[in-house]
Amino acid sequence: MSSSLPLFPVWLVDMLGSAMMIIISFVCVRYAQLLRRTDKDNVIWTYLLWLSLALALFSVSRSVGHIAKRLLLLAGHSDIWVELRPFSGSINSLTFVIVGSITLFFQRVHRINVQILSDKRAIEKASEELKWLNRNLEEMVRQRTAELSKSEAKYRRIFEGSMDIIMVFDLEGRFLDINQAGLNILGYTSKDELLSKATFADLIVPPPNPRQLMEEVAVAGFYKDLECRVQNREGETLTWLLSLTVSRKTDGEIGGFESIAKDITHRKKMEQQLLQADRLASLGELSAGVAHEVNNPLGMILGYTQLLLRNEPENTQDFQDLKIIEKHARNCKTIVEDLLKFARNAETKKGVLQVNDLVREVISVVEHQFTLDNVTIETKLDNSIPALCADGEKLKQVFMNLLMNARQAMTGQGRINIGTDYHSSRNQVNVTVADSGSGIPPKILEKIFDPFFTTKPTGEGTGLGLSVSYGIIKEHHGEINVQSTPGKGSTFIISFPLTLDEQEHCY
Amino acid sequence: MIFKSGRQNTIWAKIFLFFCFFISWPRAAWALQTHPAPEGLFAHMLAHLFFIATLAIFTYWLQTTGLSRERGWRLIQISCLMFILWNLDTFAVHWIEHTLTREMLITTGLDWAQRLSMTGGWRSWVYYFGKFDHLLCVPAMLLLLFGLRDLYRQAGNKGLPQHE
Repeated sequence: MSSSLPLFPVWLVDMLGSAMMIIISFVCVRYAQLLRRTDKDNVIWTYLLWLSLALALFSVSRSVGHIAKRLLLLAGHSDIWVELRPFSGSINSLTFVIVGSITLFFQRVHRINVQILSDKRAIEKASEELKWLNRNLEEMVRQRTAELSKSEAKYRRIFEGSMDIIMVFDLEGRFLDINQAGLNILGYTSKDELLSKATFADLIVPPPNPRQLMEEVAVAGFYKDLECRVQNREGETLTWLLSLTVSRKTDGEIGGFESIAKDITHRKKMEQQLLQADRLASLGELSAGVAHEVNNPLGMILGYTQLLLRNEPENTQDFQDLKIIEKHARNCKTIVEDLLKFARNAETKKGVLQVNDLVREVISVVEHQFTLDNVTIETKLDNSIPALCADGEKLKQVFMNLLMNARQAMTGQGRINIGTDYHSSRNQVNVTVADSGSGIPPKILEKIFDPFFTTKPTGEGTGLGLSVSYGIIKEHHGEINVQSTPGKGSTFIISFPLTLDEQEHCY
Repeated sequence: MIFKSGRQNTIWAKIFLFFCFFISWPRAAWALQTHPAPEGLFAHMLAHLFFIATLAIFTYWLQTTGLSRERGWRLIQISCLMFILWNLDTFAVHWIEHTLTREMLITTGLDWAQRLSMTGGWRSWVYYFGKFDHLLCVPAMLLLLFGLRDLYRQAGNKGLPQHE
């Protein structure tokens, strides 16, 4: 007996332990159930419930086996236990496998749970954002719309109110938008009229080639301060200072072009007039110098020729020769005098006069001949124009020159319109002479006031008519401008300022 | 119409006769294997090993996922370790039980009065104390209970589960 140990403590622990295992395992199941109820969607809690149930099954199968064994053996039914034992052991083995198998699912379950929680958080966040947007969207939209409207109105004001031309084109150069200044300058009354018809290529008068220009802009991204000529609806050529930029879509692709242009036609014209005035002033100085130098020897030639003629019988050859010398000397003298008039060195006798009277006088001289030549003269004289302080004879010469030029510009029948008017705001008197003749080619337009410039055949004109007129008008502090369309005719506009000094000088 | 021609008939007849000879050979049937007594114990012990392996993996996952930082999960993790110890214990007892002879159980009257002869040396000692396996599995189950209770209380306090 000394080398043996009692098995009673073993069985006692076995019985009590088995009972405790069953009880504790069911409490575990209860807690797992409670845990799951806190959040039924949590797969981890579901997993723990399954694990607890499997362990409870394991505890029951094992503990019932142990207790049954003890009780059956105690009751002397070892034969029954022998029958039950294989089943108890097998079921016990199966419960191990079930618990183990469930345990192996933990990682997968955990991953699913992580994903679910992550998705849940994302959905909750999105839901919160949606709720917030739902509450504030209307206000946000209203606020943004107001801001947008304000901004749109601001830029629309700048766009529409700009004195410069602002244009928007698509990739093909078709007009998408243009401001009011652009419409006015191009001579269109409505936007739709322009947008449906004209393109950038229609607008630009080459060079530069409009297509090539747009390609260059597309490559460089912009083109700055390009001086180009543009044709308006009436066919007038304007000069614009143009800047072009590409407009890009949100994806970075070129969507079209935006352009700002300044109409510098008037400035260019003024610059040209200034240049012409400078040139003519230089020519005037030169002409005056030459005229003075030529005038004295010419006077001597004419004087001595006349002296010789007195003593020479009329029928001699010498008399005839002297007469020819006298005639040409007189022609030269006339030219010299004209040159002096152009150079404004000729004597001026200013007095108070009515321009309308001067115009009527000149017309009365030429009217008969013009009627015979089928050229009609129409007048539109403003009787309210004030009196001028001017040299009447010289002004008549100017009007006569202009009328003769107008007549010569016409082949066959034609019409000449002479008009006078008074611009009270500018305080100036204008005289307009318009003809329906052949017009002046643009190439020679800037040369017509140059001395000795003429388009007539040699011997038919000296080319001093307009030069002299220019000189006379300048002498009266006036301006002479010409507008001409080849094939349609020319219009000369003379303006005389009514300065106070001039008036006082006369009175 | 199985046999189509004379030559084919001969071949099929040879195969058929060989098959009849083979299945009528007077030997034990090869298709069925018998399962004598130790296999049940071995299957049970293998189930213990499987249980050990799965619990070890579960313990490792609880560590790597960081869940063991929370008290409830840590208690469950310790519970798993206790269950592993219990499995090792029962595995050892089953193994020794397999090697012990019936003579080592000394029965004197009632079943309660049985004693264990300690003639098996260390195996007898291991067997005797290993039989107190409930001293391992009951605490393991208690730790599981405490772990679940802790998780429940924590979930109840937080309102929403925070475990990832």
